[in-house]
Amino acid sequence: MIATLREILEQSLQRLAQTATAYVPPLLAGLVIFLGALVIATLVRLVVIRITKTAWLDRFLLESGLASMLGRSRPMQAAPLVAAGAYWLILLIGLLTALNAFNTALTSQIVQAVVFLLPKLVTAALILLAGAWLAQFLGRSMLVWAVNEDLPHPRRLAAGVRVLIMFVAVVVAADHLNFARQVFLAAFVLVVGGAVLSASLALGLGVHGALKRRFGEPARAADGQEKSLWNHL
Amino acid sequence: MLSDEARRALAGLKQADLVVGIPSYNNARTIAHVVRAAQAGLAKYFGQLSAVIINSDGGSRDGTREAVLTASIESPQLLLLSTPLLPVHRLSLPYHGIPGKGSAFRMIFALARELGARACAVVDADLRSITPEWIDLLLRPVLHAGYDFVAPYYHRHKYDGTITNSIVYPLTRALYGLRVRQPIGGDFGLSARLLNRYLERKDWETDVARYGIDIWMTTIAIAEGFQVCQSFLGAKLHDAKDPAADLSAMLHQVVGSVFTLMREYERVWRAVRGSRPADLFGFRFDVGLDPVPVNLERMVKSFLTGCRELREILALALERGALEELLAICRQAEADPRGWRLPDQLWTRIVLDFACAHRTLPVERGHLLRSLTPLYLGRVASFVLETESMISSEVEERIEQLCLAFEAAKPYLAARWDSARPPAAPKAQPAPVEVKL
Repeated sequence: MIATLREILEQSLQRLAQTATAYVPPLLAGLVIFLGALVIATLVRLVVIRITKTAWLDRFLLESGLASMLGRSRPMQAAPLVAAGAYWLILLIGLLTALNAFNTALTSQIVQAVVFLLPKLVTAALILLAGAWLAQFLGRSMLVWAVNEDLPHPRRLAAGVRVLIMFVAVVVAADHLNFARQVFLAAFVLVVGGAVLSASLALGLGVHGALKRRFGEPARAADGQEKSLWNHL
Repeated sequence: MLSDEARRALAGLKQADLVVGIPSYNNARTIAHVVRAAQAGLAKYFGQLSAVIINSDGGSRDGTREAVLTASIESPQLLLLSTPLLPVHRLSLPYHGIPGKGSAFRMIFALARELGARACAVVDADLRSITPEWIDLLLRPVLHAGYDFVAPYYHRHKYDGTITNSIVYPLTRALYGLRVRQPIGGDFGLSARLLNRYLERKDWETDVARYGIDIWMTTIAIAEGFQVCQSFLGAKLHDAKDPAADLSAMLHQVVGSVFTLMREYERVWRAVRGSRPADLFGFRFDVGLDPVPVNLERMVKSFLTGCRELREILALALERGALEELLAICRQAEADPRGWRLPDQLWTRIVLDFACAHRTLPVERGHLLRSLTPLYLGRVASFVLETESMISSEVEERIEQLCLAFEAAKPYLAARWDSARPPAAPKAQPAPVEVKL
């Protein structure tokens, strides 16, 4: 009994030693690689912020409206953006290299999957960025129009436009990544269908009101008060 | 640029010393009077010169073109015309391109150049107060005094021409240093030299094609050193604006043109300090004016809604202090709808901040210009509250104070323009143009 127990313990310790021998060196190597990448990424970020001359990028960010979209409190500058991009890229490379140090089937699969997915992820991120830009632009257009037309709840209308466009961007990005396609598509159809129905009802009610005004109160068109807001140009 | 119909008309006429252009769109009610006044003016004051009246029409469906071609002048004896008279030809042609007053002017100018005209006058088709003397006052300074650009000078009701009074006149005067009182009056006299300059420009397909044309013409004439004067025309009485028209777009086009030209003529306005009066022709007299009704309540409501809802867009343009001051005034207006005012200094900063933002945020230009509408209505409401009991001379004095505020804010504009400057584009800048003061 004791001999069996001792045998089991010895085998267990032996397996632990084997595992430790197999994994601790790559783990240490991975940690060293990752920490090295972290140090390099931090240094690169600092250097990039100091030396990057990104006049054209600053100009692009400012003129395209991305600067005010990315930096809510104050417009985003290009140098921190480039530095952050370099930082995360180096960190990602460090992480993948560190994982590769284990040289197992699982880590190889992970690295392969990331490398394979990366272009798609970048494209999906760009789709979301473009969607956010368009949502902001059209949301503002709706806001200004609604205010100038004296429509009720202009900010809600603008928020609705933004949500709708962002939702479309998310659907497109998810489709690109082949992620929960059916769910997003179904939700998209429901939202767009709902929006079309609401618009039809609103149009119908609006036309009804307009016709009533047109045929029921013809004298109002000649009312000086109605046009006086603008006739003093 | 010219249609076949226009070319055929030109072939028949060959040459003309003077051209009077009338842009129109559904002005059948008033245009016959304008044509008769132009014809009488040409016959009475320039009877020995060949002249053509050109109606450039935007596709009217109310018989405007027929009204032009059938309008007949009363007996020449009634007008004490000297004989023999050269006949005044009339053309009514549709213009092509972007629908708008600017496109109509472009065709008139092109025809005037082809005809070799020495001077050209343009007058609005909706005028009720035009007389034959207007033609003399617009053309004579060009023909006999060497001026290139004759701007109108009218008596207008204190609430008429509020875009002019609150934005365009003070800003143009402060920028380019010449006091042209009605820079977007709509009735101008032009020399052949200036016409050629207009026609050689490449920005006709912008807001210039629409309501931006008037300020575009005035600004180019002043900023490029052409000889500019004014003629006193009496009262300006015209049809009320079409209430169906999108007049917010009109503000957008006029102010957008001013801001766009500010970028082009930066070197000119930077060199200008103060202002000087423009020469004024004509005999000045007081006239009775049509009252202009204003809906104060709606203007204040629009102003308050704009301040409350558009803060996100206003923050893109306005300097933080100006925005906070504006919001404080909104709160005051909400609490006391008749006791609040939008001060000249703040209004000046708002307009100048928008001009700077228009330059640095090209993608947001449309939003910025349209979000200026409620602030403009707020300024007009404040002006109405302040001048309710004033007579016209007092109102004019009040406008003068606003102009001085704009002139005093020139260093602020220069500083804001520089601080908001995006990194320099590699494109070469055009040669500087000196304004002769």
